[in-house]
Order: sequence, then C-alpha cells, then structure tokens
Amino acid sequence: MKGIGGLGAFRACVCLAALLFLGVFLVYPLATVLLASVRDPDTGAWTLAPYRQIAASRYYLGSVGNSLLAGVLSMGFVCVLAVPLAFCLARLEVPGKPVLLTLASLPLVLPSFVGAYALVLLFGHAGIATVAMRDIGLPVGSIYGMPGIVIVFTLTLYPYVLMPVMAGFQAVDIAIEEAARNLGGSRFHVFRTVLLPVVMPSVLAGALLVFIEALENFGVPAVLAEDRPFLALDIFKLFAGESDSNPGAAGALSVLLVACTAGVLVLQRRWLARRRFATGARRVPPPIVLGRGGRIAAGVFCWAVVLLSVLPFAAVLVISFQHFRGPVLNWEITLSNYAALLRGSYRPLWNTLLLASIAAMAVTLLGAPIGYVLARHRSRLSTLLDIVVTVPFAVSGTVLGIGLVIAFNSGWLVLTGGWLILSVAFVVRKLPFSVRSAGAIVHQIDPSLEEASINLGVSPLRTFLTMTVPMMAAGLAGGMVLVWVTVTSELSATIVLYSSRWRTMTVLMFQSLEGTAPGEAAAAASILIVFTALPLLLVYRLLQRQGMGVL
Amino acid sequence: MTAIRLEGVTRSYGAVRAVDDVSLTVNEGEFFTLLGPSGCGKTTLLRMIAGFTDVEHGSIWFGARRIDAVPAHRRNTGMVFQSYAVFPNLTVAGNVAYGLRARKVGRAETGARVARALASVQLGALGERWPHELSGGQLQRVAIARSLVIEPAVLLFDEPLSNLDAQLRTQLRVEIRQLQRQLGLTAVYVTHDQEEALAVSDRIAVMRAGRVEQVGPPEAIYRTPGTAFVAEFMGSTNMLPGRIEAVDGAEIAVRAGGAMFRVQGAAGTVGDPVLLSIRPETMRVLAGDADGRSVTEDGRSVTATLVLREFLGPTLRLHTVLPDGTPLRVAALGGQEIRQGAGGALLLGYDAAQIILYPAS
Repeated sequence: MKGIGGLGAFRACVCLAALLFLGVFLVYPLATVLLASVRDPDTGAWTLAPYRQIAASRYYLGSVGNSLLAGVLSMGFVCVLAVPLAFCLARLEVPGKPVLLTLASLPLVLPSFVGAYALVLLFGHAGIATVAMRDIGLPVGSIYGMPGIVIVFTLTLYPYVLMPVMAGFQAVDIAIEEAARNLGGSRFHVFRTVLLPVVMPSVLAGALLVFIEALENFGVPAVLAEDRPFLALDIFKLFAGESDSNPGAAGALSVLLVACTAGVLVLQRRWLARRRFATGARRVPPPIVLGRGGRIAAGVFCWAVVLLSVLPFAAVLVISFQHFRGPVLNWEITLSNYAALLRGSYRPLWNTLLLASIAAMAVTLLGAPIGYVLARHRSRLSTLLDIVVTVPFAVSGTVLGIGLVIAFNSGWLVLTGGWLILSVAFVVRKLPFSVRSAGAIVHQIDPSLEEASINLGVSPLRTFLTMTVPMMAAGLAGGMVLVWVTVTSELSATIVLYSSRWRTMTVLMFQSLEGTAPGEAAAAASILIVFTALPLLLVYRLLQRQGMGVL
Repeated sequence: MTAIRLEGVTRSYGAVRAVDDVSLTVNEGEFFTLLGPSGCGKTTLLRMIAGFTDVEHGSIWFGARRIDAVPAHRRNTGMVFQSYAVFPNLTVAGNVAYGLRARKVGRAETGARVARALASVQLGALGERWPHELSGGQLQRVAIARSLVIEPAVLLFDEPLSNLDAQLRTQLRVEIRQLQRQLGLTAVYVTHDQEEALAVSDRIAVMRAGRVEQVGPPEAIYRTPGTAFVAEFMGSTNMLPGRIEAVDGAEIAVRAGGAMFRVQGAAGTVGDPVLLSIRPETMRVLAGDADGRSVTEDGRSVTATLVLREFLGPTLRLHTVLPDGTPLRVAALGGQEIRQGAGGALLLGYDAAQIILYPAS
C-alpha cells in the first residue's frame, strides 16, 4: 500500500505469518484427523467404514447422546442459576458484592476436573460426606455419570453467562425502564418485557459457550463418567487406548464433535452479530431498593450460589493437608500428601510452569499483532484470518492433540514427545482468547492517536512500536496472566501429547486419580488451584477494567 | 506558505464514490473550508491531503511538489482531530514537543518553541499538566499548539470544535482564525456547521455526495447559492415550489404558495416549474394595514397569515402560511413591534434581487 510507509507491509506480514502458523498447526492437523476417518489405514482407500461402525454401535451413539444431553442440561441449569444471579449482582444491593464478584470469576480459571474430583472426594463411593451420612443413616444417591457431570459443569461454567448478562443488565438505560414504568408497567412486567429481551442475546451467547465447553470437556467426564460413554472421553480412549485403539473411529467421532461445536459456534456468532439491543446507558442504573425480606433473600441466594461453586475447591485444599491411610481419611494435618506426590521429583511442577510461561509469552507475541491488525484494518486477508483464528474455539483440545500427533509423528517435521508440541498445542488453543483480548484493548485506543503521531512525522511502524504497544502493554500483561493460568490447568490436549519426560501437574493429577491414594490427587489438585487462582486474583483489578471480556 | 492543488481526486469505497473527481485550489495563506452534510466526502478529502486515505485517481500538490504518493509522516501537515488525539501518556509539553522530537530538533530549541506554542494558545502555565487534568477546550488547544509548533506546510482541521460546547466553540474558532492569520499558514478546515464555516473562512467549498457543489467566499455562498442544495444547506431558507407565469425582460413572475412573486433571474419559459429560495431575514413585515392592502410603491409584497411567533431575543421568528397553506418562515428584528396575533394577516415585502430562482429538478 502506497502512502502508508511500512505499516501495510507489517499488516500483510502479520496476516501471512499467522495464516502460515495456523495452517501448519491447526488446519493441517485437523485435516489429518478428517482424513484418518475416511481412509482405510491399511490400503489407503476411501471408506466410510468408521462412520458406519459408529452408527451401528449403541455404545458410540450413546456417547454422542450423553455428551449432547450433558451440554443441554448444563446450559439450562446455568441459565436458571446465572440469570437471576446476574440481575441480583447488577441491580440489587447485595452485601459483600466486590468479594462475590471476585469469587464468581474464579470458576473460569479453576480446572473443572478438580471440581469434579472434589465432588468425588466428598460424595463419591468412599467420599467423606457419603461415609459420614451413611453413618447417620442418610442414603446418598450416586453422583457418578450424568448428575455429577451436569452439577460440575453448572457450577464451573456459570460465569460464562453471569458476566455478559450482568454487563447487559448494567447497560440498560434506566430511562427505558422508567419509560416502561411510566407507561403503567409493574416492576415484574418491566423485567419480563423490557429487561429480559434486552439481555436475551447475552444470555444465549453465553449459554451456547457453556454448551460448547461442556461438549469439549475431557477432564470432568474422565473423573465422573466411570464406564458411561462420553464423546470427548471415547475419542481419547479410541485413539490412545492400549487394547482397543481405533484411529478411524476416533477420527470419525472427532469430526462429529467438531461439527457439533462448530455449528453451535456459528449459531452463537450469528446471534452476536445481530444483537443490537444495547441501549447505551450513560451511567450504571441505580440499585433497586428492596424491603428487608427481599434483601435477605437476594443476599442468601447470591452467596449460596457463589460459595457452592468455590467450596469444592476449598474442600480439596483442606483435604490435601489431611493424612490418609490408604483411602481412609484421618483428620490430622500433614504435608505427607505433597511429599508423596512429588516424591523427590519436582519435574512435573517445573514442566507446568515452564510450558505455561512459554505458551503465555508466545501466544501474546503472536496474538497482539493479530488482534491489532484485525481491529484496525479490514482486507480479504484479514477477514480470512479472522475466521481461521476463531476455529480453535470450536476444536476440543483432545481432537487438536490427536491431529498434532498424527501430523507430526513422522514425516517432514517430527515433534511428538517433546515440549514444543505441547507449547504449540497451547498456543493454538489460546490464540483466539489472546487475539480477542488484544483486539478489545486496541478498540479502546482512539485511532486518531496513531494518526496524530504519524501526522507529526513519526513513521507508522515506529508509531506502532513506541506508542501503540506501550499503551496496550498493561492489557496484554493481564491477558498473558490469564493465558498462563488456563494453560496451567490444561488437560484435554496435554493428556494426548505428554511424554514421560514432559508430564505436567494436570497429568500427574489425572494419573493419581486412577491410583488409590486420594491424598496425592488432592495435593496435585491443590497445587493447581493455587497456581490458577492466585495469579488471577493478583491481576483481577486490571482484568476488571477490560470487563473480563477476554475470558 | 504553501498552496494546495487537487486535480481530479477520486476515492471510492465499494460502489460508493466517497470523493468523486474533485479539483480545487487552495491559495497560499488561505483559510479554506470544506463544508457539507455527513457522508459528503469532506473528511475523506481532508484525510487524502493528510495522507491517511489513498488517492485512487488524480493528484494532490503542495506548491510545485506532488505529494499524493508521499507517506503521511513525511508530508509536514499539522492536523487537528475531532477527538483531540492528545497522547494520554505524555504531559502537555511532551505532546507539543512530540513532532519536534521526530524532527530531531535540539533540546534548547524544542523547549523554546514549545513554550512559544503553548503561550500562543493561552496554555503557557500548563506545560507540566497531564491530559486527564485538562478540559475539552484545553485539550483541543494542546492539539492546536502541537500542530502549529512543527511549522507545517498546511494546517488541517477535522471538525475540531464539534466536541465542545457552543460558547467555547465560538471562542475557539476566533482564536484559530487569528492564529492562522498571524502565522500566515494555509489551512483546510472541515465542518458540517455552516455558521462556523461562514465565520472563519476565506473561501468555502460546499460538498455533496463526493462532489463540490460550489466554491466561493462566504458572502457569495450565502447570498447567491449556485444550487438549491447549497441554498438549503447554508442556513434556513424557504424553498417554495412554483411555476413561471410571465417573463418580462429580466423580471419573472412566479406563482408560488398561492401568491405572486416577481423576481429577477435567468431566462425561463412560461409554465416551467421552479423553486424559489427566500431567506427568512430578507422578508420585511410592512407596517401596512391589517387588511393587507399594499403600501409599497413597486407592489413587491405578499400577504400571509401568522400561525406562530417565536421570540428568540435578537430576532423574532414568524411562522406564517401563504394563501394556499404553504408555510413561510420570516425573521424580523426582535425589537420590531408586530401587533398581529395568531391568525392575523401580515403584509410581507421583499427585495426581488434577494429571491433566488432555481429550476425544479
């Protein structure tokens, strides 16, 4: 582009480099998964046998059905829980609101399979609560399978609806409400006919994200499904299982899973594109004053939901310091679980910290320029990039991991078994978050600032480096911490890609689940909780300024 | 001092021609305004001069130097933005020094020039302040100082006053005009506010749908608008559809609104549909009797019925209707005494030379 002095070349370079990276490490691996499902591994002939195999198997149909059902139920429960909660937090006076808001954001980063494990520790076959209640004669239903999985998804995914809907309730211009009241609507009538329709797009957008997350999640069903079929779990078993490995069927199930999530994602994007209900409130609407009874009810409800969602994690922390004799808990404080877990090797912990740091830095270095170019500049190339960069949202970590293994196990580039393939998987998975967060930051910077600088004689490239980048720095740092935190608790791709040398804390935790020492698993879970919750709390203020949109 | 010449400049976005074959010359030291409704292409044209929008066809010249292929940062223009665009991470003095640093001006000289520039916009004491401590008007002053200090070839203003309140707007536009004149800089000023354009400009180009509708000094644009669009855009005018009844040399009789207007105009043919532009302040309420009997010697008057009067202080706005119900607004001096109430008949005199006739399109 003439007249833009270096910036045009910079934009094109960013677009091309990003497309090359995603082409090699996202599109190509996904294509190999697709290919694996339609080619006979021995003869190389085209075949639909894996799909027929799945269609004929009650087990695998059940797997698809269970996953979809879990997604739909979680979505429903999340809405029932999160929409009233959002209303209370946005519009009512609830005691301890800042603390509530902080706590409510924790489930976004705390590893959900740790939550699932907490449920097992408390209410599982030999769970602490189960045993205690059995002792006093109270029967406890089984939490394994669908009930437990839906409970965990609901309690860990509700912030996806809570955050945007809360913002929605706060963005409703009070004048619109007053107009409706002035025209004779009762409070409830106004809520139903004015407020709810305005926030409905946010509810749906968030709910569909919950559905996608629930469908893709590997860790929660891995802990709670026992032998029941679940899609993400079965893909992994079919691919990595020692006895019944079947890459074709794994590929076919993967294609089904990606098709489901991608379809829902497209639906969600359509919704977002059409949501033009924001009423441009100039200020946050004043809190609605309730009577004493109402106030107490609202406070109890909010605290109950939020505490319920973080209590399992707190329970795990406490339990990790208790002494276990075999599977039996003794109430005495000890560090023996941690000692046993790390057994002289801090390697998994270092691996986790190292990989998370590498991934966080790499994803920020890649995501920030992409976010900038996408926010500031529209071209055919950048539109294509915008679409490709969204794809990882729709691809579960397990499927991406399988694709990377197939693609880079042999041939021109061999990466399997090393740290690089893990880092690549993390970078690809977190890139959409990073790009979106960088884009949100760029949108807050007036483009006139850059033009003023150029106009005053500083070249576009130098303007970008000396003005735009420093202005983005604080936001980028916040986003980086968030990526670091989520990579720390990543399981679904790691479980496919790790090698014995590159085990991470999540793998260690996953493996100790299968063992008979609950203390060690609790210790691993606690380490994960500390490494995810602490950084988030440290940068919480910073992230709040960006409206937590990056999550 | 630099003259600016645009030759056949064009820029389209998709199927829309934002700027369509515009040719203009801005003289050295001239204050030239691009005026038009939003979407008329005035800002695009300004951004092409600044180098932020590529020129598709045509050329732009600063004096004898063609600049449309020169990168924006080497054009040496000083641009003032609607959103101020004051760097939030620099102090006021830092903002003003920014362009000098880019030009590698020495420390001592930078300091002196920054101080002079700040003094010229009456911010001499605020050099160490941070932008968030300043008001909108002060921020825009910083931006003006920042673009003056680099001694630009041309000054560019992109609706610089539209984020300010009315009083500040009037005050700052006087200062801008005085600074420009003192420094003898060529300035291109974009606005959609016709009063602002009339107040500050040496010449105005009225734009519409990417094209220049008329170029001229403010008085000419206001008094003898070349097209009905310019007439309507330059302040409120009454646009009356009518038909030519008779042509008598330079005088044309037009029936409009149920009354007969005798105007001067280019030749027309009897029966042609036309538009009459009558500015409210060109009509005079005659002290004639309420019966509407003509008291002017030349008979250049019409009768109208008063519907509503608005007292605006300096002026009195009368909403009237012509005999067939066509509304006609009349501005009288606020001091003038008009006895008629709503429903009363008014005798309105006019000057034939001030009514402008356009062919109805």
